[in-house]
Amino acid sequence: MQVPLRKTRLWDLPIRLVHWSLVLLLPAMWWTAENDNLSLHMTLGYAVLAIVLFRIIWGFVGSSNARFSQFLKGPGAVAGYLRGFFSGGPAKAQAGHNPAGGWSVIILLSLLAAQVGLGLFALDEDNVGSLLTSMVEYDTARSLAEIHELGFNLILAFVVIHIAAVVYYSLVKKDRIVPPMVTGSRDLPEDVEAPRIAPLWKAAVLLVLTSAFAWWISKGAPTSLAQLNQPPPPSMEDFM
Amino acid sequence: MSYKKLIVLAAVAGSLGLGAVTMAASPQQTISDRQANFKVIGKSFKAMLDEGRNPAPNIAVYRVNADALAKAAAKVSNHFPKGTGPEAGVKTAALPAIWQKNAEFKASAAKLVDASKKLNAAAKSGNLDATKAAVMGLGPTCKGCHDPFKAKN
Repeated sequence: MQVPLRKTRLWDLPIRLVHWSLVLLLPAMWWTAENDNLSLHMTLGYAVLAIVLFRIIWGFVGSSNARFSQFLKGPGAVAGYLRGFFSGGPAKAQAGHNPAGGWSVIILLSLLAAQVGLGLFALDEDNVGSLLTSMVEYDTARSLAEIHELGFNLILAFVVIHIAAVVYYSLVKKDRIVPPMVTGSRDLPEDVEAPRIAPLWKAAVLLVLTSAFAWWISKGAPTSLAQLNQPPPPSMEDFM
Repeated sequence: MSYKKLIVLAAVAGSLGLGAVTMAASPQQTISDRQANFKVIGKSFKAMLDEGRNPAPNIAVYRVNADALAKAAAKVSNHFPKGTGPEAGVKTAALPAIWQKNAEFKASAAKLVDASKKLNAAAKSGNLDATKAAVMGLGPTCKGCHDPFKAKN
């Protein structure tokens, strides 16, 4: 018997904003790095820092289906899901990440956090880098820059797999998963429990806090006003 | 000419020849020497940039590093003999443009030497503001030469 559908709030606004801002920011990060626009690269990098940090904390305090505790499943559940996925049967409707998708969220957030961390301590060959680079040796900062470059390949590989999966769901499984990531809503069977959506003010407060943190990092993590008022780091413009 | 003189002459000529052989470093050696030299420049430049972020910069730090940088900068243009480009078969970011547009390359290297001398003089004079300005004046000479003559990795 077909269970009637009902319109369900699936993805809250913060999750969608995180998702689509990363869609814009990742190519921008790549482009600015390739075209030697390191000042913009670093500025956008602080935005990525604020967003990634926001998403990680939202995974503890956000809407029910944004929380790691809700979507992180053991290997058995992941294997079971993947078996069903490849056997071609209709996927069980759920109001959140499936067991495999949950892990991909963790993988992407880890990759991005590591990439931002590396970038913060990396120096390019002309000694351009964040203020935090003064905490590390020259050789260390140069090695980190190389790992930072390699790290992008992992992120790129992730994006390719992610897009391939989305295309597969949409075209082969006829599972329309893209529109809900835009509108936030999806028609789901009535017996699927709707997620508890966290209030927006909570997200706003959190975004202010993580942005403030990213700004503080961009100033070299100063611990006094005197340190805060130091001269800015050299940027490519200084060197042109 | 006596035998003795001949022997002495042969010995002198021989040692000169040996000396010439040991003087002319292999392309590999030249490449690793110049990479180490650029590292000295990068390191001492970083030390001065970092010192400039200190609320109370220490002129002694500039003196040591400006001196090291100036010495290393003076070596740059001699570190690129013919045959030490990509054709040497050793990993190097040196582009063929260095030899194709050698006059431009030498001019770029001279800009670094010039800026490093100014920096060194400022640091020696003890004028902190002039020294900090000279550090920022040196930066463009790195990029100015890397852009046309160094491969991106």
